Amino acid sequence: MKKTTDLKKAFFARGRVPDCPIYDLHGHMGPSYGLHINRETAAQADTVLKRVGIRLLVFCHHAALMAPDIGNAANIKAVRAFPDRLRAYCGINPNYPDQVKKDVATFDRYTDVYVGFKLLADYHAIPITDPRNEPAWALAEARALPVLLHTWGNSVYDGQTVIRKVAERYTQAKILLGHSCHSCWDEAIQLVKDFPNVYLELCAVMDERGILERFVGELGSERIIFGTDYPWFSHHYYIGTVLGAVISDDDCRNIFYRNAEKILGGVFNAKSLTAK
Amino acid sequence: MKPTFFDANLCFGRPIRTVYQPAKTAADLQRVMAHAGIAKGLVWHVAQRDYAASDGNRLLAKALAGRKNMYGCWVILPPQTDEIITPDFFRRMQRNRIMALRAFPDYHRYLLNRVVFGKFLDEVTERRIPLLLSLEKSSVTWPVVYQILAEFPNLTCILCDIGIWNSDRFTWPLLETYPNVFLETSLLSLEDGGIEETVARYGAERLLFGSNFPERYPEGAMLAIQHAAIPTADKKKIASANLEGLIQGAQL
Ligand SMILES: [Zn+2]
Repeated sequence: MKKTTDLKKAFFARGRVPDCPIYDLHGHMGPSYGLHINRETAAQADTVLKRVGIRLLVFCHHAALMAPDIGNAANIKAVRAFPDRLRAYCGINPNYPDQVKKDVATFDRYTDVYVGFKLLADYHAIPITDPRNEPAWALAEARALPVLLHTWGNSVYDGQTVIRKVAERYTQAKILLGHSCHSCWDEAIQLVKDFPNVYLELCAVMDERGILERFVGELGSERIIFGTDYPWFSHHYYIGTVLGAVISDDDCRNIFYRNAEKILGGVFNAKSLTAK
Repeated sequence: MKPTFFDANLCFGRPIRTVYQPAKTAADLQRVMAHAGIAKGLVWHVAQRDYAASDGNRLLAKALAGRKNMYGCWVILPPQTDEIITPDFFRRMQRNRIMALRAFPDYHRYLLNRVVFGKFLDEVTERRIPLLLSLEKSSVTWPVVYQILAEFPNLTCILCDIGIWNSDRFTWPLLETYPNVFLETSLLSLEDGGIEETVARYGAERLLFGSNFPERYPEGAMLAIQHAAIPTADKKKIASANLEGLIQGAQL
């Protein structure tokens, strides 16, 4: 059994640890059809992030993913209102290919907002390999941008088979597997072994004991990133689960901030965040 | 401030399908609790569900003997089959430190309603013995919860594992309507603001800490309660005082 570590003690004692900032690379914003969300707004997010000690939340507004009539305007508005702790993924819904082209064409107008793209293929019911996503992939590939994918084991839209196809096709984009190809853990591990630009993200992974230990045991911790689906899920809950896993403090630090800083390094300078 | 944690929702024994490093015995579970910082537990043995309520209940009672920081939950079946509920049932509960009940109607193939459990659950209600229902673990679905509470509105009922996705749309109407309904927090604390908003509306008295070990990491729910944006007194209630109160209030 793991000894109580300094990091675990410190987080339990104070709730936040200044020398261990947290980057949450999988968040959302706004209401959502299937559940009551307690904190929908950017202002509420900013308050929570400050209280919990989250250095940066990279999110994609539910409207950008689920309401084409609102779209990415919701992302832009939120980040510009609270630029100290928020950045966004430009949401891509390939059911509306003209909008995809438009959002990609105007991406550079919002370098203060976007760090990359988000695809929610299971919900959009179009595979991540579909040509309608190509404009986003092409820009991500050219600039080595992060692309956060919602991924779920065995899904024809974003499961292991199509993830492998995009990883073969795009070698420069940073492919973040949201939910780590959930439930197909061995396949997720193999994808990270086979492709140096594939990362595992922990949202919906940490509510099951033992998976993170398996990931770290097989892969080390340098390609595992912290994410919560905030405001669906609680930062403290997720931080607690990472601290509760039988991995080292160094692994926790990689997961909480070091890996994220490397991934975002080319996109924006963490020092540009002015928040304390 | 580190509150004392009394865990309403944890289990030991090896399940029919594997789970990551379960506690095989009650002693193993005590070690897990000590490592995580959990002082007491209201526990059950997974064989009560996976194998048989009868032998599982006996296994649990035997394992609890002499373990002062553990109480047990017995699993019920319809009284008509005489498998579990016998005339000396409550006396046997008391002798064996069994302070609560659990039910797995779907998995154990019966209906949890007044036709089946009328007199028995009337007495359970009267004695203020908590019935724990889990929305996971092949236990119950929301319509079953709503049905049983409509039929036994004063039943002391602890809803466990309330869902990965926020369940306020299911749970808040129950908290509003039934004063003896409580929520176990292993998944409420997974929701952003879940603890804070429920406390603000219905009071900290309605929440009970639970870890859902071995399926989940206890540290997630513990850190979320310890650093929730609620008063310290409320954290103490949720962490242990409310469950202590229910256990002490049960008349066996
Ligand atoms: Zn998400």
